[in-house]
Amino acid sequence: MPKFNLSQATAVTLLAIMVVLIIIVPLLPGYDPYKQDLGGALLPMGGENFRGDFYLLGTDTLGRDMLDRLALAGQVSALIGLSAVMVSLFIGVTLGLIAGYFRGPVENVIMGLADLQLSIPRVLLLIAVTAIIGPSVTNLALLLGLTSWVAYGRVARGMTLSLREREFILSARTQGSTATWNIRKHLLPNVLPQMLIVGSYEFGMIIVMEASLSYLGLGVQPPLPSWGMMVSEGQNYLALAPHLAILPSIALFILVAGFQFLSQAFTRENELELVA
Amino acid sequence: MARFLLKRILQSVLTVFGVITAAFFLVRLAGDPAVLLLPIEASAEDIERIRAALGLDQPLIVQYIRFLGDAVRGDFGDSLRQGTSAMALVLERVPATLELALTSFFVGIGLAFVLGILMRMTRVRWLRELITWIALGRQAIPLFSFGLLLILIFSIWLKWLPTFGRGTWQHLVLPALTLGTYELALYLRLFNASLASEQRLDYVRTAYAKGQGHLKVLLRHMLPNALLPLVTVAGINLGLLLGGTVVTETVFSWPGVGRLIVQSVSQRDFPVILAGTFLISVMFVIINLLVDILYGFLDPRVRMT
Repeated sequence: MPKFNLSQATAVTLLAIMVVLIIIVPLLPGYDPYKQDLGGALLPMGGENFRGDFYLLGTDTLGRDMLDRLALAGQVSALIGLSAVMVSLFIGVTLGLIAGYFRGPVENVIMGLADLQLSIPRVLLLIAVTAIIGPSVTNLALLLGLTSWVAYGRVARGMTLSLREREFILSARTQGSTATWNIRKHLLPNVLPQMLIVGSYEFGMIIVMEASLSYLGLGVQPPLPSWGMMVSEGQNYLALAPHLAILPSIALFILVAGFQFLSQAFTRENELELVA
Repeated sequence: MARFLLKRILQSVLTVFGVITAAFFLVRLAGDPAVLLLPIEASAEDIERIRAALGLDQPLIVQYIRFLGDAVRGDFGDSLRQGTSAMALVLERVPATLELALTSFFVGIGLAFVLGILMRMTRVRWLRELITWIALGRQAIPLFSFGLLLILIFSIWLKWLPTFGRGTWQHLVLPALTLGTYELALYLRLFNASLASEQRLDYVRTAYAKGQGHLKVLLRHMLPNALLPLVTVAGINLGLLLGGTVVTETVFSWPGVGRLIVQSVSQRDFPVILAGTFLISVMFVIINLLVDILYGFLDPRVRMT
């Protein structure tokens, strides 16, 4: 019998709230994150405009519904996060398996590349690159993906180092199977579950990174909303309408904490130590 | 030791070299550097002139060597907005950034230290749980959200501290708390783990057997040993703090290098962006090198690897 697990329960609760926000809310009637209403701007939570329309989470500086904005921003973040995780997982696993399987100079080059990347603060690297190629959702997802492969690469390489000495790989090799075949059919399936755990941890980190860049004005660009950008817009109205900055912060907290607990629950179950 | 030193220094030089190379190709890949390095209003003749001045009509390898030479001397050209040397502009901002990063570093270690001792000394279970949960919760709040939360509580509601800027120690409190507490959960876990492993050792039992009190054993005997891992990890994280200053400085309008870089991005001032990124990367590499060397002195086993 599985025992009650506090971090699992917390993860499920937090992520359920997120699912409601980014999947259920957009299905509600009257969902429109772009509709402006300058007469009903900066309504507080639970406020009504002069026509009597009710806004559960209030409205922003242009009178747009905060709940709908938060939902759309969540979809954008989730999409960027998912694509970035897939890109980095693909690169990281490929490089990690190659480094671990072939060893020698190939391994040195790949691990040197990983060290090089870790030797520059990631925010800075992302800022410099976005400044040059220009911010957009696609660029953001690609860049975040390209700069997050190291965690997967290191874990995949570490696992491959021990797996490659095991009998099933040795027997495949003595039967003359090619390296590609061994990596794809024997190593990959063994490494993949662990990679998904790394992914669940990294997903939260990538969401925070995206939010930070959007806060700095270098991430998602208007009119598309993003939680980070909403916080930055709300900063000027902190005294007047604190919900503008606080609500997207809470949304970020719920998502990040949810994935933090999820990866913690996974880690305990599999008795792994994650190396960040 | 000499070999370890030499190897680490060589590695650091290689890294800086890699950073410069990456910057060079990035700027080239993005298109014509002459266009990037000039304001948007620049005319076609201006672009031609800067192409010749930068040697962009020469082969790529010549351009690369020239870029390398300039970068090593810290010469990234003049700021497009200020007209003065980009590196000089960046260097002006370094003291503010270092002030923020170092204060945050000590705030982080100090808080972990006090809370760790408190958790060790108290018999109240819920207090220990509470501290752990607060630290974990803090970790899930991005820097900018946490900074704004502090501004809302301490500046707007309580009116105790200024909202932005630099000058007095009051200005430093909120940014340092924002940046310093980010890794608190990690520090606390580490500190607790090392205190727990010291607890089992003979010298601790001897100290208790001599009749010394719990607090004295903890502070006099266990602490010096338990602090080493904490300080090491915090030292490694000092580099990450440097990255975190970018966001924190923007939240609090702190006049450091990070804020300069962000402002330069919106003004498309590429020489300043390159100079700032380069300088912080070099600082990052140097800090990591120093931490490694220091650790090599403190723990001889490291040198072997």
